[in-house]
Amino acid sequence: MTSTDTLSITPQPTRLPIRFGQFLPLAPPSIMLIFIFAIPMGMMIALSFRGADGALLTLDNYQRFFSDDLMLAGLWRTALMSGLVAICVTVMAYPVAYYLARSTSRWRTVVFALAIAPELAGVVLRTYGWLVILEDHGAINSILIWSGMISEPLPLSKNLLGVVIGLTHVVLPFGILSLLTSIQGIDPNLERAAQILGASRLSIIRRIILPLSVPGIVSSLLIAFTMSASAYATPALLGGAGFKVLATMVYEQVLFYIDWPLAAVMAVLLLILMLTMTLAGTRAEARLQRKLHV
Amino acid sequence: MSSNDIEMISVTKAYGSHRAVNEVNLAIPAGEFVSILGPSGCGKTTTLNMIAGFAHPSSGDIRIRGKSQNGVPPEKRGIGMVFQNYALFPHMTVEENVAFGLKMKKRPIGEIRDAVKHALRRVHLDGYGERYPKELSGGQQQRAALARAIAPEPSLLLLDEPLSNLDLKLREAMRVELKDIQEQLAMTFVYVTHDQDEAMAMSDRIVVMQNGVVAQCGRPADIYDHPRSSFVADFIGKSNLLPIQEVQRSGKDWVVSVATGLSLRAKTPDDTLADPPQYCCIRPEAVRLTMVESDASTSANRLAGTLTRMVNLGAYFDCFVTLQDGTVLKSLVRSTRLPGLTSNQTVFLSIEREAVQLLPR
Repeated sequence: MTSTDTLSITPQPTRLPIRFGQFLPLAPPSIMLIFIFAIPMGMMIALSFRGADGALLTLDNYQRFFSDDLMLAGLWRTALMSGLVAICVTVMAYPVAYYLARSTSRWRTVVFALAIAPELAGVVLRTYGWLVILEDHGAINSILIWSGMISEPLPLSKNLLGVVIGLTHVVLPFGILSLLTSIQGIDPNLERAAQILGASRLSIIRRIILPLSVPGIVSSLLIAFTMSASAYATPALLGGAGFKVLATMVYEQVLFYIDWPLAAVMAVLLLILMLTMTLAGTRAEARLQRKLHV
Repeated sequence: MSSNDIEMISVTKAYGSHRAVNEVNLAIPAGEFVSILGPSGCGKTTTLNMIAGFAHPSSGDIRIRGKSQNGVPPEKRGIGMVFQNYALFPHMTVEENVAFGLKMKKRPIGEIRDAVKHALRRVHLDGYGERYPKELSGGQQQRAALARAIAPEPSLLLLDEPLSNLDLKLREAMRVELKDIQEQLAMTFVYVTHDQDEAMAMSDRIVVMQNGVVAQCGRPADIYDHPRSSFVADFIGKSNLLPIQEVQRSGKDWVVSVATGLSLRAKTPDDTLADPPQYCCIRPEAVRLTMVESDASTSANRLAGTLTRMVNLGAYFDCFVTLQDGTVLKSLVRSTRLPGLTSNQTVFLSIEREAVQLLPR
């Protein structure tokens, strides 16, 4: 062997050997997810294409859905309700999240606990709480009628308003948490720098804080939208019999009409609605991010 | 009208029972480069934050251009600030960053454009206006932050350790540039740092802080030559600090006995002692090291010892000489002056009487 041989670089193996051992820890969760998530989901999608005559692949069920005005109205109602809740939650969560991100006061912990505490009570419990407040004989209407300000109860429940109020309350903590992470990532010195350059409180929020917290705003909107679109208990209880969204319609089809293929269509459409919003949201965020260079 | 840009009148900032800044009195003349120097936790950043308006004095008054700033928010103080981490707005280009202050002051668009161009040229960032902060190097970000602060032409600029995140070479280059910019703009700079070299290199005046109080305030040369306490002597430059056991009068001189048994002759400028001295301070460059015994007729202190350690600083050697009584004295020796100097050889030291400074604490 000559001395130059020792200097030559030994060729790297072109393909790294895949060692199955390193994937072993992933096996239990994967198997679990396949059985409780992927397989049922696949079965549901397959079911939505099954015909009444036993055909395996037909669009009949989708045609039945889209030709029925009541069902289409349910789809739009779901989107409208979820959109409204997403906006309400994000607008209400923002000041709380900003306070929690910046405060050094000892009350911070108390506010944080209060913001998260509602999650400890179940959804049904909280929804009934709102029913007691909002219904025709509920607290608000009783007080208003007793004081003589109105003669007929205000329509606060059994409609979109009641459901949006209830869902906003349910989803708010998730909005706060996702905004909090984002605002905490903004250097407080940026606010001081803007302030010393003469910016008012309002300018600082508009020009510094809001643009830099876009990722948090998008994730809050998405979480609130998907949680609202898939919520069942709150629309069912606060919306009343006339207020139908996809989640309650699926339940109805399965239990009362025993029309599983149509229920599957609704579930698939709900899934598509949420996926579309998530995709649109993340795309919009990525575009903004690129523009903002953060 | 006062010619002082900033006056602090017995300003105290207390956090609970801890006084971060304690009864500080300070007058900063317009157009001067003033450094607030001290170790971490000495209150220098709190002082700067109070001048900026981010923190409020517990008692006392801060005046800017003669006006009390009590209750005036930072955005109304008309001052500029450069932050340690630059705090450039990441979602704005360099140009937009620099224009921000002018836009907030609602200057006309044309004026803003000119001022931005001017400020960028002054910090040598012309051509970088379209870039975003994350596309700049650390030094360029530093310049952009400086341009943003000076663009609205405040009369007063606060700098919070702006060079501490740069590497040594860049830091030294920026010192010169900062000083140039300050002189050209005739702006008052208040510069907070823990780096004494930085403060010495740029300042017209240095305020040394220790535990929330001003330990000494004066021109860099004055502070270096006549430190008022052992803390200042130790913090600014290198020094041989020896605790004093006894001081006696001998003719016009003072004879100082150090704890180890060493005795030195000292001479004070006015032949008086205000307070009983606790320490004596000798700068290493005042300790003259020779390889042969010096002329016995001089009035200087003459000592002999063993050269125990030499630290090569390039142009100089830091020489540690252990005297017979065990005292170690540092001496600064130019590398070319004594060729053949090696450790573990016997050397002789001479120290002028004026170089032995007596410090009250």
